Amino acid sequence: MNYSLLLVEILVAVLGLGVLLADLWIPAEHRRKLGYAAAAGLTLIFFVGLSDVTETSYAFTAPGARTGMYVFDSLSVFFKEFFLLAGIIVMLLSVAFSDRFTTGVSEFFSLTLFALLGMLFAASANDFVLMFAALELITITFVVLNSYQRNRAASIEAGVKYLILGALASAIMVFGIALVFGSANTTNFNEIFLAQKQLAGNPVFLAGLAMVLGGLAFKVAAVPFQVWAPDVYQGSPAPATAFLAVGSKAAGFVLLLRVLFGVVPQITAQWNHLLVVIAALTILYGSLCAIPQRSLKRLMGYSSIANAGYLLIGFASVSKAGAAGVLFYLGGYLFTVLATFTVLCVILRHTDSDDISSLAGLGQRSPVLAGVLSLSMVSLAGIPPLAGFFGKFLLLKSIVMLGVRDPAYYCLLAVALLGVVISLYYYFGVIKAVYWGGGAVDLSPIPLDWPVRISLTVCVLGMFWLGVFPDHVVKLSTPAVEVLKPEAPASLHEKGR
Amino acid sequence: MPEFTDLLFFVFAGLTLLFGFLCVANPLSRNPVTSAMFLVLTIISMAGLFVLLHAFFLAAVQILVYAGAVMVVFLFVIMLLDLKEEARRKLNRVALTAGVLAVSGLAAILVRAVTAARPAALALKAGPLAEGDTAPLGRILFQSYLLPFEILSILLLVAMVGVILLSKKDLR
Repeated sequence: MNYSLLLVEILVAVLGLGVLLADLWIPAEHRRKLGYAAAAGLTLIFFVGLSDVTETSYAFTAPGARTGMYVFDSLSVFFKEFFLLAGIIVMLLSVAFSDRFTTGVSEFFSLTLFALLGMLFAASANDFVLMFAALELITITFVVLNSYQRNRAASIEAGVKYLILGALASAIMVFGIALVFGSANTTNFNEIFLAQKQLAGNPVFLAGLAMVLGGLAFKVAAVPFQVWAPDVYQGSPAPATAFLAVGSKAAGFVLLLRVLFGVVPQITAQWNHLLVVIAALTILYGSLCAIPQRSLKRLMGYSSIANAGYLLIGFASVSKAGAAGVLFYLGGYLFTVLATFTVLCVILRHTDSDDISSLAGLGQRSPVLAGVLSLSMVSLAGIPPLAGFFGKFLLLKSIVMLGVRDPAYYCLLAVALLGVVISLYYYFGVIKAVYWGGGAVDLSPIPLDWPVRISLTVCVLGMFWLGVFPDHVVKLSTPAVEVLKPEAPASLHEKGR
Repeated sequence: MPEFTDLLFFVFAGLTLLFGFLCVANPLSRNPVTSAMFLVLTIISMAGLFVLLHAFFLAAVQILVYAGAVMVVFLFVIMLLDLKEEARRKLNRVALTAGVLAVSGLAAILVRAVTAARPAALALKAGPLAEGDTAPLGRILFQSYLLPFEILSILLLVAMVGVILLSKKDLR
C-alpha cells in the first residue's frame, strides 16, 4: 500500500486533530491564534504536500477490482490544490469572524479542516463507497458549521434544513449506489466503465445512476435539488457559507465530472438533453429569484444556484473542452466568492444585518472593501477583464459549435446569455448600494486586520490573474481533464455527417 | 433441510412486512410509542432474514445497535414530543400522495431489480462471497475498505464534537 499518495490528506487530518487537542492547553484568549497556525499549516501543505503527477496511481484495492478506490491523477491534484487554497482563505476568514462565536472557536477551525479533508478525499474518489464516505464527512461537518451560532435562530434553522435535506439526499444517493452495485456487482469506477456497454440497457442500473446523480445535484444546488441553498446560505455564519459555496459545491462538481465523464460516458452521451434542460432551468431559477433579494447572503445563495447552472453547461457539452471550462470557471468562482465573503465577514462584524441597504456608505467607510466587493460583483456578472468573464466565455464556447447540429444547444446558449443580462441587474444593485446608497448613519472607517488584508489581496490577484492571463490556468486545466473520457452524443454525430 | 429454511424465509419476510405495515399505518392505535415498538419487531424479523443469509454478525449488530441503541434514542425523542398533539393530527393529503408516489416508484424499481437478478444477468464475474462471520468481515473492513472506514471514524469524531458544541448548556 502506497501511503505517500495520501500525504496531503494525512497531513490535513493530523492538523485537524492537532487543533482539536491544542485547545486543551491554550487559554481562551489565545485560541484565535490556532486559526493562524492552521492557516499556516495549510499553506505549508499547499506548497510542499503535492507532488507532480507523472502517472495515474491507485491505492486501496477492493476485492474483485483491478484498480484501487483511491486515485491520484492530474484531475485529483488540480482539485486538491483548489480545495487547499479555498481552505487557507476560509481559515483566515474564520479567524476574522471568530469573535462573533460565543463558544468553540478552535473547534470551528478544526471542523473546517475536517470538511476540507472530506473534500480532498472526494477529489480522489474512484469508488462509490469512498465517494459516499467523503460526501458524508462533508455534509455532517457542514451541518455543525451551519448551526454554529446557536444563539441565532436563523443559524439553527440553516443547520436543521441542511441536516434534513442533506440526509434525504444522502438516502437517495445510497439507495442509488445499492442499485448500481446490485446491477454491476462492483462499486469501482474503472470496473463500471469497462462494463458500461452491458449496463447501459439495464433499467435498474440507470435508475441507480439517476439517484446517485440526484444526490450529487443536491451538493451543487442544481434544479430540482436547489431549494435548500438560499435559506442555508442566509442563516449560516459567513465563513461556513463561504466554504459551502466554494468547497462543497466544487466537491460535488469533481464527483459529477468523474461519474458522468469517467464512469459512464456512453450513458452521459445519451442523456445530454437532460443535462441541457437542467442547466437551463438552474440558470433561470437562480437568476430570476435573485432579482428581488434584499439580503446579501441570500443573494449569494441564488447566485450560487445560477453559477451551478453555468457550470452544468460544461457537462451538457459532453466534451473535454467543456470539462476544462468547468475547472477554469470553478477557479474564478473560488476567488470571486471568497472575496465577497471576506468583505461580508468584516461588514457583518460591525453591523448585524446583511441587508443590501446596510452597505450604504461603504465607499466612504472603507474604499478597499468597497472596491473589492465591486470587483467581485463585476467578475460574477462576467465582465472582462476579470476571471468570471473568461470562465463563462470558455463554457459558452464549448456549446456554440454544437448548436449547428442540435438546436437544443442554441436554446441553452440563449438562456445562458439571458441569465448574464439578468445577473447584471442584481450584481450592479449591490455596487449601487455601496457607492450611491443613501441613508448611511455610521460613516466611521472600518479597520482591516492583516488576515483580512492577505485574503483580499490573494482573491483580487487571483481574479485579475485568471482574467488577464487565462493561459496559465488553461494550461493547468486542460491536462487535468485528460483522464476523463467524454463521448460525443450520437445526435451530434449523425447530423454532422 | 432446504425446505425448512425456505419456510423460515417466508415466515420472517411475512413478519417483516406485517410489522412494517403496522409501524406506519396501524389501524388500532395512532400512538407513536406503539409504532416504535412495531419498528423493533420489524428490525428483529429482519435480523432473522440476515441469519438465513449466513450474515450472523450483521444479524447480531442489527439487534444490538438498531433494536437496542437506536430505538432507545427514538423513544427518547418520542417522549419529548407532545403525543396527544401528534395523535390528533390529520393526514396531510399532499404528503400522502407524494409518499404513495415515492413508495410505488421505489417498489417498481425493486420489482424490476428482483426480476433482473438472475445469475446470468450479472454483467461481471462475482467477487469473493463474504461469509457472515466476524473474521472475514473484519478482514474486508480493515484491509480493502480501510480508507472509507477511517474516514467514517473521523466522521464520528466530527459528529461527537458537533453534538457537544450544539447541545451543551451555556459554555464559556
